[in-house]
Amino acid sequence: MNKLKITSLAIILLLGVASGCKKDKEEVDTIYPTISIEAANAFPKQCSILKRGEKFIFRADLSDNIALGSVSVDIHHNFDQHSHSTEVLGCNMDAKKTPINPLLYIKDFPIPSGQKSYQIAQEIEVPANVDPGDYHFLIRLTDQSGWQTIKGLSIKIQ
Amino acid sequence: MKKWYALFFSCFLASYVLAQSTEVSVYVSTTQQTAVKSAKVFLNQSTVVTDATGTAVLKNIPLGNYVLTVQATGYADYEKRVQITAANKHIHVKLKPEITELKTVEISSNAQNIRKNSEARSIEVVDQRFVQQHLGGSLMQTLDRLPGISNIGIGSGQSKPLIRGLGFNRVVVVDKGIKHEGQQWGADHGLEIDQFAAGEIEVIKGPSSFLYGADAIGGAINLKPVRIAMNQGLGGSVNLIGKSNNDHYGTSINLFGSNKKWFFDSRITYQSYADYRVPTDTVYVYDFAVGLRQNRLRNTAGRETGLHFNTGYVGEHFKTSLYASNSFAKSGFFANAHGLEPRRVDQALHDRSNRDLLSPYQRVNHFKLISRTEISHPTSKTELELGFQRNFRQEFNHYVNHGYMPPVYPSNMAIPQHLEREYDKFIYSGNLRHSFMFQQHQLQVGLNADYQDNGISGWSFLIPGFKQFNTGVFMYDKYVVNHQLILHGALRYDYGHIQFERYDDWFTSERKEGNITTIERLTRAASFSRDFNSFVWSAGMNYNSGKLGFKVNIGKSFRMPIAKELAANGVNYHYFSYEKGNANLNAEVAYQADLGISYTEKKWTVSFSPFYNYFPNYIYLNPTPHHDYYYGAGNQVFEYTQSRVMRYGAELKANYQLIPSLSTEFLGEYLYSEQLSGNKKGFTLPFSPAPSALINLTWSPKISDKLHNSYLSIDYRLTAPQNNIVPPEKKTPGYQIVNVQMGTTLSLNKQVFELSVQAQNLLNAKYLNHTSFYRLIELPEASRNIILSLKMPFKIN
Repeated sequence: MNKLKITSLAIILLLGVASGCKKDKEEVDTIYPTISIEAANAFPKQCSILKRGEKFIFRADLSDNIALGSVSVDIHHNFDQHSHSTEVLGCNMDAKKTPINPLLYIKDFPIPSGQKSYQIAQEIEVPANVDPGDYHFLIRLTDQSGWQTIKGLSIKIQ
Repeated sequence: MKKWYALFFSCFLASYVLAQSTEVSVYVSTTQQTAVKSAKVFLNQSTVVTDATGTAVLKNIPLGNYVLTVQATGYADYEKRVQITAANKHIHVKLKPEITELKTVEISSNAQNIRKNSEARSIEVVDQRFVQQHLGGSLMQTLDRLPGISNIGIGSGQSKPLIRGLGFNRVVVVDKGIKHEGQQWGADHGLEIDQFAAGEIEVIKGPSSFLYGADAIGGAINLKPVRIAMNQGLGGSVNLIGKSNNDHYGTSINLFGSNKKWFFDSRITYQSYADYRVPTDTVYVYDFAVGLRQNRLRNTAGRETGLHFNTGYVGEHFKTSLYASNSFAKSGFFANAHGLEPRRVDQALHDRSNRDLLSPYQRVNHFKLISRTEISHPTSKTELELGFQRNFRQEFNHYVNHGYMPPVYPSNMAIPQHLEREYDKFIYSGNLRHSFMFQQHQLQVGLNADYQDNGISGWSFLIPGFKQFNTGVFMYDKYVVNHQLILHGALRYDYGHIQFERYDDWFTSERKEGNITTIERLTRAASFSRDFNSFVWSAGMNYNSGKLGFKVNIGKSFRMPIAKELAANGVNYHYFSYEKGNANLNAEVAYQADLGISYTEKKWTVSFSPFYNYFPNYIYLNPTPHHDYYYGAGNQVFEYTQSRVMRYGAELKANYQLIPSLSTEFLGEYLYSEQLSGNKKGFTLPFSPAPSALINLTWSPKISDKLHNSYLSIDYRLTAPQNNIVPPEKKTPGYQIVNVQMGTTLSLNKQVFELSVQAQNLLNAKYLNHTSFYRLIELPEASRNIILSLKMPFKIN
C-alpha cells in the first residue's frame, strides 16, 4: 500500500512539474519547408539529363507553413559514386572515373520575403567544356525559422 | 553586489561559536565478535591502537565527517566514512579476515548518503560496483541510468556526458583531480576515459564553476582515483567482458602491490568490438533506403586499449602519487552516412567483415601524467596536483571535394589524402589547495591554472589552432553550525586568455561581384585574441534532522566561449551547415537555484531535487534562413549567437524495501528549456532530453555461504516523446525499454568470482534517442545486448 502511495506521489509530483511548463506559450514553428519536383514543368527531376553548352531552367515548387528563407543549388560531379542522392529511385550510373574539368556550380537565390510558397525558375548554363557524366543536383531550402530541407538529385550531363 | 559578498562572508566568519569536539571510542572485533587488540585506528589525523578489550579512544575529534581506517595484521583493511555527532561517537568495527577480497574499500550507500547530506549541491555518487552492474559501451552510457544524466552518443563506444540537458564544454570531467581535456565540443567524439580504471565517481548536477573552473557551468563528473589500501602485498584482478550485440570482447587486468609506505597500481584494458546491430534491416538516410546486412551498422566497429600505472608513497603527514595513463581508441563511423551526409558505399567491401575498420574512422590517443601530493599539518592540509595531457585525434575519410575544393586531391599536398581532420592538443595544468579548520569552519583556498596548445591539420577546416591560458583562485567555506545545519559559501575569480592562429584555405574559391570574378584562397581565421574574467559565487545550506534532509544552493557560474564559438568558420558537411563563430561573444553566465528534499524512513526513502537555471547570454549555434556560397559553399549559415535562456527541471528518486530481499526504486527526470530572446525566442535548446522515468525491482536473495551479493534487478524505462525541438532537430517519439541485470559473487577455495549478466533492451525495442548523434538520420538505437562480465580478484603471497 505504502509503495503504491509513494509511486503515485512520485508520479503526481513529476506530472506537476511537467504541467508547470504548459502555460500559454506561443507556438513555435516546427515544420520543415518542402521542395517539390512533382509538377510537370519542374526540372531537373531524378535522372534528368542536362546538355553541355545549353541553358536550362531550374524549376521547383517551394513551400513552407510560415515563411520561406532562401534556396541554394549545388551541382557537383559524382564520378566517384559516393555521395548524396536523397531519392529512392536510383539512376543508371556510368563507370567511375577521375574528374578533369567537372562542372561545379554553387549559388544561392533569395526568395522574396514573407512567401509561403514560391516557384523558383532560375536559368542555369552548363558550359560546353565540362566533363560529361554523373552529377548531383543538390537543392537546399530554408525557412525563416532556420529549418532546412535538402533534396539531392542524381542527374547526367551529356 | 560586492558589499553583499562581503556581508555574506563576514556573517560566516564572525558567527563565533566554540568548536564542538568529542571523544570517539572505536571498538574493533572480528565478525565473530572477538575483540581485536593492537589494531591501528585512524581518524582525523589521530592514530590510536586498540587495547586488550579491542577499544581505542580518540580525543578531541571535532564533529563532522571523516574516513575511519582500521588496520590489523591478519585482517583486511577497513575503511568507512563516518559522521561523528554528539549522538554517534561509539563505533563498532568488524574486521574481516585477510582473504583475496582485500582491496575492496567499503563505500557503503550510507557513506554516500552522508556525503549527499553534507553537500549543498545535488550530487550522485557511484562506485566500480555500479559500473560492473550497469556496464555500458562507455562510461557515460553506464552513468546514463542516474536521474538527470544522459549522454550524447555516436555508435556503440563513444559518448559525451549530458547533465540536466547541458553537455559539451558545459560539463567538466575531472580525472584524479585534473580536468580532462579532449575535444569536448564535438558530438562525434567520445570521452577518452577507461571506465574500468575509475574508482568512485561523483556526479555534480548543476553549476560548479567555483570549484572546478569555468566550464563546469552545467555540472561536473569527478572521477576519483582508486583507493589503495596499504600493507596488502601483491594482488590484483582479472575482468573479462563480452557483449552479444557487437561481438564485443574485452579484458581489464589489474595488478597492485603495497607495503606500509609504498604502493603501485596498474591496469591494462583491451576491448574490441564489431559493427553494432540495430533492430531493423533498412535505415532511411533521408528517403534513401540503406539495407543493413544482418542488422549491422556498417563500419561501426572499434578497438580500445587503456594502460594505467600509478605509484606512490603514503607517510603519516605526506602522501604522493604519480599516475600515468594512455588510452587509445580506433573506431569507425557508419559508412552510409557521415553525419547527415548520405553516401553510397562499396557495400560488398564493407560487408566482408564486421570487425574491419574502413573509412570513415577516427583514431584518438590520450596520454596523461598526473602527480598528486598531499601534506598534512596538525590542523590543516595542503594538496598539489600537476598534470600533463596530450590529446591527439585524427579523423580519416576518403577525400570528398565539397564546395570549391579541387575535384582531384593535389599530389603536392603535405596533408595525407585521407586525413579529414586532426586535432593535436597539449595541456599543462596545476591545482594548489589548502584546507584548514577555523573553529567550525572548514575552509579551503585554492589556485588552478592551465595552459593549452591546440594544433590542427587535415583537408577540411572547422576551427583554427589556438593557445589558451586560464587561471582561477577560489575560497570555499563549509561552516558546520551544529550536527544538523551546515552552511556553505564560495567565491571564485577567473581569468582566461585565448590566442588564435591565422588559417587560409589550401584551395581557391571563386567570388563574383557584379561581373568581376576573383579567385582567391580564403582567410578562414584571422590571428586574434580575447581575454575574459569573471567573478562567481555560490551559497548553500544543508539541514538534516533525523529523517528529513533539506538542502538549498544558489550560485553564479561562468564559462569562457570556446574556440569553436569564437572562431569556427567552415563547412560542417556532417550537418550541411556553414558554422560561423562570433569573435565578439561575451563570457556565458548562469544563475542557478537548487533545492533538495529527502525523507528517509526505515523501509523507504524519497528525494526530490528541483532546480531553476537562468542564462542572460547562453551561447547557441543558431541556424539562420540564409545560405552562403562564398565561405559556406552554398550551405545554410549557422551562426553563434547569445540569447537569454531559462531552464528548470527536477529529479525524483524513491526507494522502498518491500521485504528484506526485495526492493523497488523509482527514478524520474524532467527538464524544460526555453530561449527567451533572439531569433529562436520560444524554442528550446538543442539536445534536450525528454522526460523519463525508470522503475526498478531488485531481488537480493541470500542463497548460500558460497554465493553472496546476489541480485536480480529489472529496470523498466519509460521515456516521453520529445516534441519540444529547435532546428535542425526532429521530434522524437516516446519509447519503453527493459533492462535486466543479475549477478552474484561466488567463493570457491578462497577464490572469488564476481559474475554479472545484463540484458539491455531485452525486448529488442526499436526506438530513437533524442540525444544521439545519429538521431537526425533516423537511426534506431542498438538492439538487444547481452553483457557478461566476470571479475576475479587474486592475491599473490
